[in-house]
Amino acid sequence: MKIDLQFIWTALIELLSVVPTTLAITAVSMLCGLAIGIVVALIRRYRVPVLNSVAASYVTFIRGTPMLTHLLIIYFGLPVIIDSLAVQFGWSFRSVSIPMIGFAYISFSITAGAYLSEVVRSGLQAVEKGQLEAAYSIGMTTRQAMGRIVFPQAFAIILPSLSNSTISMLHGSTLVFTVSVVDINAKSQIIASSNWKFFEAYIAAAIIYWGITILIERLSALLEKRINIYNRGGVT
Amino acid sequence: MIKLTQIKKSYGRHQVLKGIDLSVEQGEVVAILGPSGSGKTTLLRCMNYLERPSEGEITIDGFTVNCKRPSKSDIHALRKKSAMVFQQYNLFRHKTALENVMEGLVIVQKVPKEQARKQSIELLEKVGLGNKLDSYPSQLSGGQQQRVGIARALALNPKVILFDEPTSSLDPELVGEVLAVIRKIAKEGITMIIVTHEMGFAQEVAGHVIFIDDGTIVESGTPDELFNSPKEERTKQFLKRFTPDGTYSI
Amino acid sequence: MGQHPFDISYVFEYFVKLLPSLKITLLIVFSSILIGVVVGLLVALPRLYQIPVLKRFSQIYVSFFRGTPILIQLFLFYYGVPEVLKIIGLDISKTSALYFVILTYSLHSGAYISEMIRGAITAVNLGQVEAAYAMGMNGYQAFSRIVLPQAIAISIPVFANLVIGNLKDTSLAFSLGIMEMTGTARTIGALSQRFVEIYISLALLYLLISFVLQKLFVYVERRLHRHESDTMATQREHSGRRRLFHKFESISDIPSKEARL
Repeated sequence: MKIDLQFIWTALIELLSVVPTTLAITAVSMLCGLAIGIVVALIRRYRVPVLNSVAASYVTFIRGTPMLTHLLIIYFGLPVIIDSLAVQFGWSFRSVSIPMIGFAYISFSITAGAYLSEVVRSGLQAVEKGQLEAAYSIGMTTRQAMGRIVFPQAFAIILPSLSNSTISMLHGSTLVFTVSVVDINAKSQIIASSNWKFFEAYIAAAIIYWGITILIERLSALLEKRINIYNRGGVT
Repeated sequence: MIKLTQIKKSYGRHQVLKGIDLSVEQGEVVAILGPSGSGKTTLLRCMNYLERPSEGEITIDGFTVNCKRPSKSDIHALRKKSAMVFQQYNLFRHKTALENVMEGLVIVQKVPKEQARKQSIELLEKVGLGNKLDSYPSQLSGGQQQRVGIARALALNPKVILFDEPTSSLDPELVGEVLAVIRKIAKEGITMIIVTHEMGFAQEVAGHVIFIDDGTIVESGTPDELFNSPKEERTKQFLKRFTPDGTYSI
Repeated sequence: MGQHPFDISYVFEYFVKLLPSLKITLLIVFSSILIGVVVGLLVALPRLYQIPVLKRFSQIYVSFFRGTPILIQLFLFYYGVPEVLKIIGLDISKTSALYFVILTYSLHSGAYISEMIRGAITAVNLGQVEAAYAMGMNGYQAFSRIVLPQAIAISIPVFANLVIGNLKDTSLAFSLGIMEMTGTARTIGALSQRFVEIYISLALLYLLISFVLQKLFVYVERRLHRHESDTMATQREHSGRRRLFHKFESISDIPSKEARL
């Protein structure tokens, strides 16, 4: 049996139809994850009582366990919780009405939130203390100082890490096949087994993932260049 | 105008400020001298609440904050009365010189953008940086950055400007340009409190000099009194160190 | 699902049931990291020494393994290697899937390890090398006595993340039918229908191993950093992440698995 180059092309074309699914999972999880991450990072920075230790355990648990286990626990555990609550409070909502992809969104956001909280935390720490002091000295409130001075600088600092995390999420999104969502990976499994051309189908999938990865890297490099204009230096 | 009553500050068991009383009149320029670790910078930072005093009372322009348990809004209101020029400049790294000066006007004082822009340009011209409006801090020399820092402080039209060793981080050849700017605004009758190591400058610009050591005010008076006929032994010892190298002249 | 009410006692029961499969998981982790270090070194050398053509191969190798999901890599090698070998007349279709898993994870880790090696060596302050030359060391001495020890010390946290990342990645080996921890857990789940309990057990087991590995690396790191003052060591311990940011600023693009999910 030889490698069927023609079929790689056919598979590529077929796979394009599910690229949006993969991208949606990646984007939604990253955005919600970033929101969770910022909240968790702030809780830990300001050492909010009780919440601080909850946040710390959350981060430790997520970072110490595979993303797959998060997905499986959410997929099987969340319906139990929702349905028992629904019975108790007489809601008409039942877990069966959650679409499969919803579990992926929820679980991956939780995963990303833990990792991104560490990224955001390191970014906040990397902004010099003097920047916050200067903001206070001109009369800014904490909210203004964080929003206008600290966060924009932290964001510029963590951009490369954010890009790495996005790529990880893109690759991690392949796990959705375990909850029957058809993304690029699941689709290539289908194409592979229905045509009995496994190698070719996965080559096509690899090409697409590789391409998207490179695209994300390029875009982030471009963005970084624009955002970091203020660091280009000149006179010392 | 400014009145500090029994300001105390401790880090753990170490007491940095041991009850400082100080009052500054409108338009007065006060220089605070003292060896490193004496608490002079901490005192200055307490006035802007960048450090929390453990005890005492701070009054600026009729607004009093009791440092035992100040509310957030008290601290905020107090901060709005003063502005600070930092040793490390602390310009907002992601904003241009012009944006640095405008920031406080637009965000804190809610001045319309166009007006803030006009005012800020004037101020930057005043400190000799009219040609650097769009430069980022990383593109400016230390002396230029510090001059932007001064313009940023001036923009707020504060009751008092606090200078925290404004020339200590500068290369020697850049000290002059910054001192010249401070000298210029001192003449305009703005109240200023300057922590500095530049003895000659303190003598020339300040109307009142305070010598702090070990968390207490050892001696204070006019520059002439303090530099030429210091009463306290500790003051004499401190000043002696500056005499030989000519930084300080009699 | 959901027929059984959640019962915490099963979490403990399953935890014990999962323990035997720990062997396979650790076998995959350690063998692939071991081979990965060798691969990583081989891949890093052409770029460290700027060897023309080979350098390009290294780049593509690293780009591919970092640019595609490990799950895809697993399938690609599982289905691809036999096909390719068939062309040259070798039949390995009877080979156990475990070998393909170890092969994939080795090559995958190798890409990250090569980046780690490169980053760590570049991160050693040039002044250190100059000082070594200045006191009369030759290139080999300067490298082995000055650069290498420092580079290794710098790499430990990155390496720790790689190993723990690799551990977490092994959870995908079930997709080739390997009965490591996750594979076993799925079987137990299917039989008992107590999915929530079994997957919580599974997660806790991973957490335990991650924790032990983490402690182990902190211990090693502390030993390697004996030359630093105590206060520095304590700071180091308290702020693993922050240190990564400051000390490794120049190599902040070291692809730690940790930054990956």
